[in-house]
Amino acid sequence: MTTQESTIAATFDVYRFDPTKDAAPRYQRYTLDVPPHTPVLSALLRIRAEQDPSLTLRYSCRSAICGSCAMRVNSKSRLACETQVGPEIERNGRVVVEPMRNQAVLRDLVVDQEPFWRQYDRIDPHLILDPRHPMPEGVPTSMSPEQVEAFKETPRCIACGACYSACPAVEADPGFPGPMALAKLYRFVVDPRDSAHQDRLLRIQPGGLWTCLRCHLCTAACPKDVRPSERIRDLKEMAVRAQGGTENGSRHAIGFKDNIRERGVLIEAKLVRQTSGVAGLVGQAGQGVRIYRKKPEILKTPRKIEGLDEVEQIYRALDRPAEDGQ
Amino acid sequence: MQRHDVVVVGAGLAGQRAALAAIQAGREVAIVSKLHPLRSHSGAAQGGINAAVGKEDSVETHIYDTVKGSDYLGDQDAIEFFCREAGPTVVEMEHFGTVFSRGPDGSLARRAFGGAGFPRTIYAADRTGLALLQGMWERLGTERFTLYEEWDLTDLVVREGRVQGIVAFDRKTGEFEEIAARAVVIATGPYGRVYGRTTNAHSCTGDGVAVAYDAGAVLKDMEFVQFHPTALLESGILITEGARGEGGYLKNAKGERFMSRYAPHVLDLASRDVVSRAIVTEVAEGRGFSGPYGGYVNLEVMHLGREMIESRLQEIVDFSRNFAGIDPVTEPIPVYPGQHYMMGGISTNLHGETSIRGLFAAGEAACVSIHGANRLGGNSLLETLVFGKQAGIAAAAYAASAPAPEMHASDLDRAAAPLRAWSSRTDGEDPSALRTELQQTMERYASIYRNEADLLEGLRRVRALKARFARVRVVDQSRVYNVNLTDALEVGHLIELSEAIVVGAYARTESRGAHARTDYPKRDDAHWMRHTLAQRTPDGPSLSYGPVTFTRWEPKERVY
Ligand SMILES: Cc1cc2nc3c(=O)[nH]c(=O)nc-3n(C[C@H](O)[C@H](O)[C@H](O)COP(=O)(O)OP(=O)(O)OC[C@H]3O[C@@H](n4cnc5c(N)ncnc54)[C@H](O)[C@@H]3O)c2cc1C
Ligand code: FES
Repeated sequence: MTTQESTIAATFDVYRFDPTKDAAPRYQRYTLDVPPHTPVLSALLRIRAEQDPSLTLRYSCRSAICGSCAMRVNSKSRLACETQVGPEIERNGRVVVEPMRNQAVLRDLVVDQEPFWRQYDRIDPHLILDPRHPMPEGVPTSMSPEQVEAFKETPRCIACGACYSACPAVEADPGFPGPMALAKLYRFVVDPRDSAHQDRLLRIQPGGLWTCLRCHLCTAACPKDVRPSERIRDLKEMAVRAQGGTENGSRHAIGFKDNIRERGVLIEAKLVRQTSGVAGLVGQAGQGVRIYRKKPEILKTPRKIEGLDEVEQIYRALDRPAEDGQ
Repeated sequence: MQRHDVVVVGAGLAGQRAALAAIQAGREVAIVSKLHPLRSHSGAAQGGINAAVGKEDSVETHIYDTVKGSDYLGDQDAIEFFCREAGPTVVEMEHFGTVFSRGPDGSLARRAFGGAGFPRTIYAADRTGLALLQGMWERLGTERFTLYEEWDLTDLVVREGRVQGIVAFDRKTGEFEEIAARAVVIATGPYGRVYGRTTNAHSCTGDGVAVAYDAGAVLKDMEFVQFHPTALLESGILITEGARGEGGYLKNAKGERFMSRYAPHVLDLASRDVVSRAIVTEVAEGRGFSGPYGGYVNLEVMHLGREMIESRLQEIVDFSRNFAGIDPVTEPIPVYPGQHYMMGGISTNLHGETSIRGLFAAGEAACVSIHGANRLGGNSLLETLVFGKQAGIAAAAYAASAPAPEMHASDLDRAAAPLRAWSSRTDGEDPSALRTELQQTMERYASIYRNEADLLEGLRRVRALKARFARVRVVDQSRVYNVNLTDALEVGHLIELSEAIVVGAYARTESRGAHARTDYPKRDDAHWMRHTLAQRTPDGPSLSYGPVTFTRWEPKERVY
């Protein structure tokens, strides 16, 4: 810090689009000399101040805590205020700045977050209390440090939407709550003050939990290390443990597990029935016939594998109550 | 035109708490906020919130510490009320859903903060503000109200001494709208962006304070500006006092723990103004480091060990690594004081009532005053909640019997006309250039150490900027999310408030709390144990003075 800082000449290609005026989006190039550790947000603000005041973006805290400045930098959804220019130039030769995905562009880098917030609202983001067990009068609820640990990193969420932008399940199915809402749901399901854990798990299953593809792109995108995909995995486990199979997704998981225990391999026809029920079996009959033509053995129940007793031992060990308290 | 019983402007902790109280009192409520509520700057608070809940601690000591911390400019009736509300307020936030850090016995964990007699700062890791904001928004979300999200307040309509409503515009469409209200609560937060190096967000531009001032509301104690001793050198990002609370310390370029010269007993945990001035003095007298971003000193936490640093001071580690390229586990953190908190604001009593009927204010936009000449760390989060609630209750009670508001089409035109004029100019002043010059001016002439000559020069320059602002030009012609327009609006507010700060500081010929005049280094109770009150006139602020309320504590010299 005591020497004069060196700067680099950085090229920014910034997505520009004003739906009230422009027929189509375009990219505008700006160049700027900046010290390599300069955050992308600071660079964009300098462009606004020195070159083009019409460049439009959201920002406030410049310290990765308000969640305003999520956008795509060289294709990754992240916070502009904590992404440094130097490494981006090294990696990509230039800095391509674009709005988040899965949300309509209002203008330039500003997207409409309305759908994102609607999904947040959908999980009932507040404590649901049991009237028979009111909060202790005038004193805080007692909560052990371990109980606080159980929230994992979910209280760090700043609702920036980077995970929502990165999520292919949201893209495929806009009805999917998305990683942020589900991580928030987890936060309530592990909260010892909340009385609706079971109900929350039950309600999120239809069209919610099981749409997650387990690609972990949300966890990679999250600037706060909230790890939404891991919490979604936890929610799936809790949902199955609490309710068994109420959904295709959970029934699929349970059927999978039971098949392996029974034979050591998947019993494919049985798995379809277990997942989708008889109606599902009928529904998927056309596809089944096509598969049968190519792979007639599909309808045979496979032989038990050798060493099934070892598989059984693994299952027994897993059935024992977990000691780490999850 | 929209109509509501109570309109709350600002959705940080103060605004949300006010809205909840007004809803609970049975009123129909709307919230207007230029940011989504969860993006409010309250979320940036790290260290914690004060409440004397420990067995060894007491409300009495909290009161005494706050009175003393205020350098006897805090109103003692308000401080007593405030400290008594602390415990119930924190418990309430816990019940709303806030996830606080816990001690081994399941109680709320506490840490030591500057200027406090006991560890009384309750926290949630080092993101207390975020935890409170989440808990508050979760609770408020169970109620019915109207949210004008990403709307900017531009005008307050007052007729016959009563508030009639506001004018605001929707960032997403650029459309102006009159919002009639029986009562209005201003909770728009601080105006730290008056200064160049500040811990405040870019959005902290004092809009509500400036708009109320313009409408005739009285501002109080504007000259009292708190600087946080440890802002990251280049960006101004705050390194929390928690770093020192956990055992970190400051060193100068000679490797000395210099705080022993300024506060021999409490050392690095002395009150903020004391530490800030110590750092400025060290650098000014040649014992600091120097670099491209100016002089600085080092904050060291290395000796606490990786495990402790990474578990207890996680955000500090992230801040240093991501924004300064520094790893606090192995290197010292370069710091220098930056503007942090505005003790001044819209003058209110402890019910949030202002000098205008139907206008209420709370949070950092308001001045009750409980902080007096200097706020203690952990007291302002508490203030947003305690007085946010009071303002909400008072606004609801007022709205219940206030006459129906009267707004005219001309109100909207009057508010929108200047903004339209800015956009139709073909030549004029650039808002961001004005802002940079203003920030440099305030930094140079009206910051930690002040004197008559500097303040006069500062005033001359601020007034020159004000004249130039009359020709401000908005280049961006789009109606959608026009940040160029909000830049112009905000810099206009910053200029008005800067003038009030400088004029107040020039007039106050003493040193008290955060106001340090090198030409009047002593506190002067005989003349200056009083609040500065500022009212806007076309020629600048007109000052008068009001009494400080004393209950039980006689002024003493403030030593740590
Ligand atoms: C980095 C940092 C750390 C801090 N740490 C602590 C701490 O540990 N303990 C403590 O007690 N205090 C702390 N403080 C101080 C404390 O956080 C603030 O005083 C407090 O949060 C202010 O809350 P508020 O509700 O008054 O304003 P804010 O939270 O700033 O909210 C202002 C609201 O007004 C809205 N608004 C502003 N202008 C307009 C407009 N024109 N139109 C419509 N809406 C508008 C914004 O959208 C926002 O919703 C800290 C402050 C900073 C900067
Ligand atoms: S500006 Fe707040 S998160 Fe980046």
